[in-house]
Amino acid sequence: MRSARFGALGEKLGEFWSVYKRDRAAVVGLAVFLAILTVAVFADLIAPYNPYERVGRPYERPSWKHLLGTNDIGQDIFSEVIYGTRASLFIGFLAAITGTAIGTIVGLVSGYHGGRLDEVLMRVVDMWLSIPTLLFAVFLVAVIVRTGGIPMFYSVILAIALTSWPPVARLVRSATLSIKERPYIESAVALGASSLRIMLRHILPNVAPIVLVEVVVRTAIAMLTESSLSFLGLGDPTVKSWGTVLHFAMIKNALILGLWWWFLPPGLMIAVTVMSVMMVGRGLEMYFNPRLRRY
Amino acid sequence: MKTFLARRALTSLVTFIAVITVVFLLARATGDPLAELENDPRISPATIAAIKAAFGLDKPLHQQYLSYLANLFRGDLGYSLHYKEPVAEVIARKLPYTLALLVPSITLSNYLAYAVGIEVGWRRGSRFDSIFMSVSMFVRSTPYFWLAIVFLYVFSVVLGVTPLFGAVTPGRRFEWSLDWLLDYLWHYALPFTVLTFRGFLSELIYVRNVAVDVLGEDFVTTAVARGLPEKYVKRRYVARNAMLPIVTVLGMRYAFIIDGAILTETVFSYPGTGRLVYEAIFNRDFWLLQGAVVVLAASVIIVNLVIDLLYAYLDPRVRYR
Repeated sequence: MRSARFGALGEKLGEFWSVYKRDRAAVVGLAVFLAILTVAVFADLIAPYNPYERVGRPYERPSWKHLLGTNDIGQDIFSEVIYGTRASLFIGFLAAITGTAIGTIVGLVSGYHGGRLDEVLMRVVDMWLSIPTLLFAVFLVAVIVRTGGIPMFYSVILAIALTSWPPVARLVRSATLSIKERPYIESAVALGASSLRIMLRHILPNVAPIVLVEVVVRTAIAMLTESSLSFLGLGDPTVKSWGTVLHFAMIKNALILGLWWWFLPPGLMIAVTVMSVMMVGRGLEMYFNPRLRRY
Repeated sequence: MKTFLARRALTSLVTFIAVITVVFLLARATGDPLAELENDPRISPATIAAIKAAFGLDKPLHQQYLSYLANLFRGDLGYSLHYKEPVAEVIARKLPYTLALLVPSITLSNYLAYAVGIEVGWRRGSRFDSIFMSVSMFVRSTPYFWLAIVFLYVFSVVLGVTPLFGAVTPGRRFEWSLDWLLDYLWHYALPFTVLTFRGFLSELIYVRNVAVDVLGEDFVTTAVARGLPEKYVKRRYVARNAMLPIVTVLGMRYAFIIDGAILTETVFSYPGTGRLVYEAIFNRDFWLLQGAVVVLAASVIIVNLVIDLLYAYLDPRVRYR
């Protein structure tokens, strides 16, 4: 017999699925995303070669031996693309989690506390949003790298996180504003609960759906930002993400030489992954916000 | 209207000062702006000390900050170590290329998105709608620079109808200014198309959703029930009410297209401010990067100010708040 707790969870999942599956795009997105996730997890089993090693002559054309040819230093491009899945997803997800966490904290405090603090924090958000995201991320990576101490790989994640929190803060703040007017918050205040406890125990669970959707959407956006940063030469050159592969394709003239098998697949992988993540995000949003559902 | 204008201009100024303060603090937190020079063994410590004194880097932080502010408002953005000339001059030389690219592109893409988006929203749920939505979703998911690469590959490498790089053919001497203009436009076509295409499709989804929202309003149902002609309802009821939310996001669009310009200009080796950002990274020219950030952020703030004024003009309620 299943435990009661598991049964409740199963029921919840069943209910979730019955709503989620109505959006065909979201289901396709989820299937594609799970496939890509599998590739990321089992990259070393799927990739025919180690992408960090020289396994052929430079600039080989696609063949059965090297499905997408080799790059300028004789590494297998197909294996690079497979391994790139891992790095790109990992960086995107970690940056999204960090950025969303910062945004959630700022939004909760700003919305619940109100007053002067709220005003100041929202000014900061406005200011932050007036610097174009990529430009700001470029500047932040340059700055973080100069301070030293933090490896390039994490500098990129930190920079993306630091540019992505303001929209989250705004969303969480406005949700907090409406939740804090509810009677049970007043009861909690009357019972002497601390602000921290109210924020964490009573408000956070109610904004959790928004936060969850944001993590998903931010992951897609963070993956795009990461690819752009890496393309501009601000990625960690020792970690193969799709953006770094494209960076080297560009500076080694793959374009002018017409080596389409080098620069088309990584970009296509980014597009397909980002799109699938976006669709999952939209499906989740429709589940949590019934007003968006179309029947 | 006057007080609204004054208040809004003041907010912009405060935002600008906040931005440059953050940039200053971040830049100084990382220590020495002359680190690149210090690593060059050919330059003696005495020379470096002299340069430091000349730039006021030996003074305490608050004094540096004040002189940094004073310099900024005098139009002095520092010195580019790569170009060996003031950052302001480098940017001033490159900025026209970027503006000539961005302003027409953002105008055309928004106009197209507005016109097509209303139409797509009107036919919501149709095959027409789903095709447009899928294409927009896909293009929006591609990295900006990769889209530029694909365009460059197809049109310049495979078809060979457009040039591979630059804003004009290098080394060519122009007998007539018309010659120059034609050569310029020939180079201009592809980066402009990429920015506009991408901008159009990103905006399209938004306009379409706004239009669908407006179509759900009671006054539209009433208008249709009254038997008003379709074209009339579309233009006078839907398009007009969809305009405000579209103007609201214009500022965001502008900030976004700057990111697009950085990537597109890099791919096309276009000599604008966007490519300057890439060059600054490549050459570790920190002052140039800092200057580009300040100038581009300032342009976003100015554009947002103009849009807010436009908004106040379009929607009188805003003025009396």
